[in-house]
Amino acid sequence: MSFYETVFIARPDLTEAQVTGLIETFSKVITDQKGKITKTEYWGLRTLAYRINKSRKGHYVLLESDAPSDAVIEMERLLHLHEDIMRSLTTRLDELTEGPSCVMDKSGDDREDRKPRYNKDDKKTDKKEAA
Amino acid sequence: MSAADAPTVSRPFFRRKKTCPFAGANAPKIDWKDTKLLSRYISERGKMIPSRITAVSQKKQRELARAVKNARYMALIPYVNMEIDTGGGYQGRR
Repeated sequence: MSFYETVFIARPDLTEAQVTGLIETFSKVITDQKGKITKTEYWGLRTLAYRINKSRKGHYVLLESDAPSDAVIEMERLLHLHEDIMRSLTTRLDELTEGPSCVMDKSGDDREDRKPRYNKDDKKTDKKEAA
Repeated sequence: MSAADAPTVSRPFFRRKKTCPFAGANAPKIDWKDTKLLSRYISERGKMIPSRITAVSQKKQRELARAVKNARYMALIPYVNMEIDTGGGYQGRR
């Protein structure tokens, strides 16, 4: 058993309920093989730095687990096969992290910790790009 | 032309010896999810800044490189920042 951290990006046209469904299905893969999910984080619908599969946004989900490698390999395989998952990455951790990850600390958006006056402009330009 | 491109050359014969920003007790942990931390070691274009400028130790620079690559793969930071992209933009294969 070792510690792993998996982040995957789901298609932006999914609803939040569908994303939680995805989290459950992939968590189950781990728990079925005697692994433990130690942390689940939903980062929300974030803007991607570049387009993936023609979409500019994606639902980010982080799963941290203490699991045997077979379970993680199986989950990775299923992640790659799943149509709603655009991308996934699993890394090995030396130790489990405590508290929310740095992405959550900054309340989802990587710019919200900056001066508030920039906020309005940022959101405007975001909308323009999306339209 | 002297070595004027160094960040702090206010006085010619005095250059403070820089230490690795990831050394010491309360140094930040390198995490590929921390885009704010990574952005300090990345140029505006999206390229990594050499360690001779940022004074990151070799060991940490390798760790940092890994983190940057992971962050790029997960679309947290761009591979190439075209800034104002007009038409087309980054035509990557990924």
